Amino acid sequence: MDLILSLLQQLSVYLVIAYLLSKTPIFMPLLTLSGGWSQRLLCYGIFSIFCILGTYLGLQVQGAIANTRAIGAVMGGLIGGPMVGFFVGLTGGLHRYFMGGFTDLACMISTTTEGLFAGLLHAYMIKRGQPEQLFRPKVVFMVMVFAEALQMMIILLVAQPFDQAFVLVSAIALPMTITNALGGALFMSIIEDRKVIYENYSTAFSNKALKIAQRSVGILDQGFNNQSTSIIAQIVYEETGVGAVSITDCNEILAFVGIGADHHLPGTPISSSYTREAIDEAKIIYANGYDITYRCSLDHNCRLGSVLVIPVLDGNEQVIGTIKLYEPKQKLFSTINLSLGEGIAKLISNQVLSGRYQVQQNLLIQAELKLLRAQINPHFLFNTLNTINAVIKRDPDKARALIGHLSQFFRRNLRQQSDTIPLEEELEHINDYLKIELARFGDRLTVNINIDPALLSFKLPPFSLQPLIENAIKHGTSSLLACGNITLSSIIHPDHIKLVVTDNAGNYRGANKATGLGLKIVDKRLKNRFGQQYGLLMSCEPQQWTNAIISMPLPSTIQNNKSK
Amino acid sequence: MIKALVVDDEFYAREELIDLLNGSGEVEVIGSCQNAIEALKSINQLKPEVVFLDIQMPQITGIELLSMLDPATMPKVVFVTAYDEFAIKAFDSNAFDYLLKPVNIQRLEKTIVRLQQQRPAVDYSPLTQPLLELVPCCGHQRILLLPPDEIDFAYSDQTGVHIASGELLTTTQLTLKILAEKTPLIYCHRQYLIHPLAIREIKLLDNGLAQITTANGGKVPVSRRYLKELKDRFGLN
Repeated sequence: MDLILSLLQQLSVYLVIAYLLSKTPIFMPLLTLSGGWSQRLLCYGIFSIFCILGTYLGLQVQGAIANTRAIGAVMGGLIGGPMVGFFVGLTGGLHRYFMGGFTDLACMISTTTEGLFAGLLHAYMIKRGQPEQLFRPKVVFMVMVFAEALQMMIILLVAQPFDQAFVLVSAIALPMTITNALGGALFMSIIEDRKVIYENYSTAFSNKALKIAQRSVGILDQGFNNQSTSIIAQIVYEETGVGAVSITDCNEILAFVGIGADHHLPGTPISSSYTREAIDEAKIIYANGYDITYRCSLDHNCRLGSVLVIPVLDGNEQVIGTIKLYEPKQKLFSTINLSLGEGIAKLISNQVLSGRYQVQQNLLIQAELKLLRAQINPHFLFNTLNTINAVIKRDPDKARALIGHLSQFFRRNLRQQSDTIPLEEELEHINDYLKIELARFGDRLTVNINIDPALLSFKLPPFSLQPLIENAIKHGTSSLLACGNITLSSIIHPDHIKLVVTDNAGNYRGANKATGLGLKIVDKRLKNRFGQQYGLLMSCEPQQWTNAIISMPLPSTIQNNKSK
Repeated sequence: MIKALVVDDEFYAREELIDLLNGSGEVEVIGSCQNAIEALKSINQLKPEVVFLDIQMPQITGIELLSMLDPATMPKVVFVTAYDEFAIKAFDSNAFDYLLKPVNIQRLEKTIVRLQQQRPAVDYSPLTQPLLELVPCCGHQRILLLPPDEIDFAYSDQTGVHIASGELLTTTQLTLKILAEKTPLIYCHRQYLIHPLAIREIKLLDNGLAQITTANGGKVPVSRRYLKELKDRFGLN
């Protein structure tokens, strides 16, 4: 009984050392079963030390040492695998061997065997796909009991003389089994705790990072300015919970949210030397308020006590500004926020870049659209005038109506500036166009329009549909000797809508120069507006039909009606 | 009175031009057509002195139509177009007459005066294609546009020019002469043209005649005169 208590005392010291060590980064690799060489080497090193430590903390009993050496070997095997277990056991065993005594050889063999045994169990569990079992203290407890039984048997077999060995084993078997099993289980529980803390930290970190990223998508598309940055600053402020968040460009504060917002005003020039340094040298500066002091340069009564300044870079690694996180004087920066800061700066950089890309894309599309509209099809214009010329004599009212449609058609072509218009308005535009084309080709062109009235208020980019109709006439039905037929219809799918323009000519043969640009712009503008999965799709059965299908997201009004 | 044919694919455009021409008192419009294939037929049947010809028309443009007409019997042509930069340039540089839609009356009067003057026949070859891309054919109730390489042989009889393409037998408004000039078809008889690639067998008969069997089983006679040319062509002498 005394032996048990003394051994438990020694175990306490052993575990305290293990606990302290678990606070250091050295312990990190022990939390996984990566199986990499560096992890194995580290396992070997750490557990060998514990193995030797177990011997030193042992108690002299009848010319032998009652000890907790087995814990190191078994833990090494469980976490590092057969090889690590074997070598940890061997190292601890050799060390024990050189200390002498009549059980020296038996102890060396038994410790090595215990390590190898635990290692084999590790390999077995991995193979069965249950590696998480290895981290359970209960499992370690059982393994230790078994390992100690193994050790006792080896001592009886190897140590000479047998009588002495038998007496020794009967004295130490129970105390050592209890202590080692308890110690192993506790050791594993320390590792398990570390694992849980680490994983919680990781989840918290990823959650915050993801939330910030999610909420800030697209905000900087308009550029790196007061409006966009103040939204970003607000998001970062809410998600990180720091005292204050500021975003600056290279000259002045663009946005400030949180403590001290009364005197850190957007629009004022940068006054902090830390910020200047961060901009000039493109490096992160952290003034924790203790060894590197921080003092608000604007107001001596400012409650802010520490700051993290991170430069924001553009695509060419040029500093375009900074993001600053502040904490008040009595509060410490959390490590999560310290590491998160850099990620946020990178996020902003990427957003600014993508924003610039977007702006350029939009400009390009606008320019192309302008070009397209400027190319008022002269053939169309003069033929229409010719038609009207003929109609004047025969039917003056119809001629007047045609002139109305023509004017309205060109006016809309020239005027359309807005990003989106209701489908109804696009249909009016189509109607003006068709009234003219029907006057020209009335004897050999029919048009059917069949659009679900629920879609009339749906907003889409202007000139998404009219060019498709024009295309179907110009490159489709006008080449037919027989009567041309064009159908415009809508299809409502559960998650998207389709508008389909069909002609009965079947002349489409892939994009070419004449039709390509117009169709490409329609597609680009739809994708730009609604996302990559939407846009224009052409299909054709030669000599039979051509389909121009534009797909767009389901309008919310229809979604609501459905759910009712 | 000048006998004129008006060709345009738009109804009102035809009506307007017919009104203007008839109103001039110098021109009698003897017919109007809404595409080049009809025009080909009307030109052959009505033999107008002048054709007012739109350029942009379905399948076969006004300019392509020129290539299908025999220069020897071709009427005078006045092109009519709403807008066609390229063609107008060609008209200007060759001094071909043309009108722009909507048609200006003073401009039309000038054209009529020019048409009344005795002038040498105009050579339209700068506009014509050396080879036809499509051969217009009329079947029952339908119009076919055959790529020349799908034609096995062609022949003429009292009812017109006929074209055999596989199982199909149809008629065309083109003359054998134009077909021989503007397609890969070659003469094998005064009234027959054969596509060299369609020949499966040439069977030599008595008295210097021969008979061709086509890949599709058609029989085509070869006259003495053209047999030699055929043999030369295939290096059989």
